[in-house]
Amino acid sequence: MRQAPTAVRAGLFAFAALAACVLCAWLLFGRGVSPLQTDLLTMLPATERHPLAEDAVERLAKSSGDRMVLLVGSADDGTAKDAARELGAALGGDPVFSSVIAELPPFDLEQLVTPFLPFRFHLLTAEDRAAIVAPGFDPVAALRRRLNEPFGANVGAKLTDDPFGWLQHWLDRQPWNRATLVPEDDLLVAHRGDGSHVLVIATLNGSSYDDTVQRQALAALAKAEKAMAAKHPDARLLRTGAIFYAAAARAGAERDTHVVGIASSLGIAALLLFVFRSVRPLLIAFVSTAIGVVGAIVATVLVFGQLHLPTLVFGAALLGEAVDYSIQYLCARANAGQAWNAARGVRQVRPALLLALATSLLGYALLALVPFPALRQMACFAIAGMTVACASVFWLLPVLAAKPARAPLAPSLVRLALGWQRIASGRHALAAIVVLALLALPGWLRLGHDDDIHLLISPPKSLEAQTAAIRDIAGFGGGSQFWLVEGKDAEQVLQREEALTDRLRRWRDDGKLSGWTGVSTMLPSMKRQQANLAAVSDVFCGTAPARESDDAGTPAVIAGKCRGKVRSAMLTAGFKAEAADAYEATFPGRALTLDDWLKTPVYTPFHYLWMSGEHGTGSIVLPQGQDDVNLLRTATEGLPGVSLIDKPAGISLLFGRYRGYADIWLGAALALVGLAFAWRYGPRAAWRVLLPPAAGIVFSVAALGYLDQPLTLFHIMALMLVLGVGANYAVFLREGEPHAAHVPGAAYAGVLLSAVTALLSFGLLALSTMPALRHFGLTLLLGIGFTALLAPVSVPAPKKSNA
Amino acid sequence: MRRLIALAALLCAFASHAQAPALVDGILTQLARHAQVRAAFTQSRENPALAQPQVSHGDLLFVVGRGMLWHTRNPFDDNLVLTTDGTSRLDAQGKLERVRDGNRGVSQVSAMLQSLLAGQSTEAMRQFSVTAEGSPERWTLRFVPRQARMARVLAGITLKGDAFLQSIEVDLANGERTHITFSDTRDAGPLTLLEAKVLGVP
Repeated sequence: MRQAPTAVRAGLFAFAALAACVLCAWLLFGRGVSPLQTDLLTMLPATERHPLAEDAVERLAKSSGDRMVLLVGSADDGTAKDAARELGAALGGDPVFSSVIAELPPFDLEQLVTPFLPFRFHLLTAEDRAAIVAPGFDPVAALRRRLNEPFGANVGAKLTDDPFGWLQHWLDRQPWNRATLVPEDDLLVAHRGDGSHVLVIATLNGSSYDDTVQRQALAALAKAEKAMAAKHPDARLLRTGAIFYAAAARAGAERDTHVVGIASSLGIAALLLFVFRSVRPLLIAFVSTAIGVVGAIVATVLVFGQLHLPTLVFGAALLGEAVDYSIQYLCARANAGQAWNAARGVRQVRPALLLALATSLLGYALLALVPFPALRQMACFAIAGMTVACASVFWLLPVLAAKPARAPLAPSLVRLALGWQRIASGRHALAAIVVLALLALPGWLRLGHDDDIHLLISPPKSLEAQTAAIRDIAGFGGGSQFWLVEGKDAEQVLQREEALTDRLRRWRDDGKLSGWTGVSTMLPSMKRQQANLAAVSDVFCGTAPARESDDAGTPAVIAGKCRGKVRSAMLTAGFKAEAADAYEATFPGRALTLDDWLKTPVYTPFHYLWMSGEHGTGSIVLPQGQDDVNLLRTATEGLPGVSLIDKPAGISLLFGRYRGYADIWLGAALALVGLAFAWRYGPRAAWRVLLPPAAGIVFSVAALGYLDQPLTLFHIMALMLVLGVGANYAVFLREGEPHAAHVPGAAYAGVLLSAVTALLSFGLLALSTMPALRHFGLTLLLGIGFTALLAPVSVPAPKKSNA
Repeated sequence: MRRLIALAALLCAFASHAQAPALVDGILTQLARHAQVRAAFTQSRENPALAQPQVSHGDLLFVVGRGMLWHTRNPFDDNLVLTTDGTSRLDAQGKLERVRDGNRGVSQVSAMLQSLLAGQSTEAMRQFSVTAEGSPERWTLRFVPRQARMARVLAGITLKGDAFLQSIEVDLANGERTHITFSDTRDAGPLTLLEAKVLGVP
């Protein structure tokens, strides 16, 4: 009589599942853009208190964004240059690159001087400013000294434009003059003891994280590199750039997904085939699981718009848990023998599955509470996947498994289960748990912890080494530590940055730092430019105008009345009258504004250091030659609006904080599950059902201690899953036992089957390339193993009569 | 100053080996014998903006692989220490102070000479093409920038000498000309403690 609604429901469910499959296929492959996100930064949580700081972190990460930075090196200078030119030509011919810069476009050195002439009296180095305002500054002596410098190969501002050399000194401080790369033979070259290195920059015609762009660009590079190696065997290629990191992350995740997905599928298939001794249950289990995974992918992509790589790997491992529901149902079918009725079977397993689902969802929901994109996505994936898989058991499987099973569960498994169940239940098992708990204590005491960001992001060592080498040789490359300067407007930001750089200058003199890159080096604050002008006015006028005047009108007075002093100094030093007149006439020029800075072409590469937008105004100052974070942090002491941003440390701090919270959550989850059990089984029996997962957690943590594995956030997250999954087993056993009373050991055999499938899939995560997933896998391996072995204590020993 | 020549010669040896190998070898052998040299210098600078040439006198000490002390005595007293690390000023009290706003041209030319003397002629070779003429007894080496960009600023550097380096001439494209002549060139003998210290000679 229930046949009709069951069939209709199954039909609807199958239709929905098909629709989900189509949707899933479209989401994954049909939109031109892969939803797979290879940018690992996007899965990190926001760590900074201020959105401007997060902006800054992102800007820095993107500043080397969609480019390949390549360095062609060789002991022989000519070889390095030829190889670089050929590499540049080879890459330039590929449409995947929008531009490849190996050879520099022709430009005039004048371009590095002329744009600055109008501002020259407003721009001084700190040293020149100090020298000019020092008592006893003698302009004639200063000019003479400059005119008689040894060799005099003065390249830069013309003598007549800059007789004192002030502008030249200032230009020498500009970032492009400090690079270790020098233009040579129209290439950018760095020379070191081990030979020459030539820079080649290939800009991608698209995003580093775009799958298609990534593959094409890497293929083009591989081809060009091969050609280079054939022609110049001693040339080496160093590379860095987001694209290589993204590709490495993708390759790692793909490998992991394949290993975990394929190995666990095969393992589970073999196991099911062995246990059920028929193909049909195997297909049924896979259909149910596959529908679950499809549902999970659809839900995750719909909610998040993208799939993180770890989610994918984690998803592959989730197969082992999603298959549990169908296994329980199939076990019930096998145990029922010829008396099987599909609808009754559903009613029989429903309480167990619902309770199990509830505990699992509880575990994952707690995971979703962590404001951590990667973990949230995994939780969403799991919640959707488990729910759909469970629903498929209720609604689809009764039709697929309508006929009775052809064979009961493999007797050998049942015998094994019964044997262990006898050992691991009753009073002596409880005593053993107490003893084991005592043994676990020293393990707990050995536990350390580790909150390093490399848990989540661990690029290949060779790539890290190449990036470091390029930073060494070429003097650039992304740093993740920097100072952030904030202020209410541009002027305040610049003044605050100057307060910082004044301190950094002393640091540099003390050798604590080799330098820094910041906006105020290129664009001094108006206040400082006025101070510079005031200092220069002394030389032109001889009388100090109001120093702190912020009124740009004063130069008119200076210019109008004070002519003569600099002219006579220049004449005395040996300049012709017309040269002196011409120089004097250019005074005072005007101040360099933010607008000027933004419009000056040579400053374009440094625009990323300046931030102005919805999150406020700020600037980034990058340290060079010092990576001791604690030291860098002391530079901010007492400076308003200046802070050190250290994303890796921020992440580590966050990991540590959540690790602390996670303990509490774990306890809370245990209490909640306990309450659910108490409601279902009564307070007296509840503790026995709770004992296996709780003891499993205790023993796993101890085992980690004995294995010298420092505890990470990911271990604790995994323990939450152990609680969820482990509670399932106790529930399955507790609920299944009465229905399988005629086959002793059968209920536990079903639990063992579930556990082994989970171990197969989660356990394989322990082979992942990503440390976080590896820890996850190992913890689950231990936790599920312990829990499954301890599960028999949740029911009375099989020898006694069943309740 | 012979060192300078030796450098340039080394440079030559690589750059224009085919042109005058014998001459270059001869100059090399001649000049490569002295690791520490003292000389008196006269530097004269002409520039279209100057009413008359600027002339300075002084003496110098050149130590291979370490650097150079350039002591201007007239028309003012200024003691510069030029090393590969940069330029410093030595004051009357013997205190060394880094010249952060040093002329990059000075340190570049000085660095080029030093690297040549240390046997690393490749640096100068990369930047200049070198021609040699004359005989080991009376020779001229001319350095012309290889790169058009540089050539627009620097017309060339000419070194002349016989047994020793006698003069350096630096010609800029804008008409500025710096002419340095050396006299009383000799082996340095023992360095003073201060000289050894500032040049980092052990």
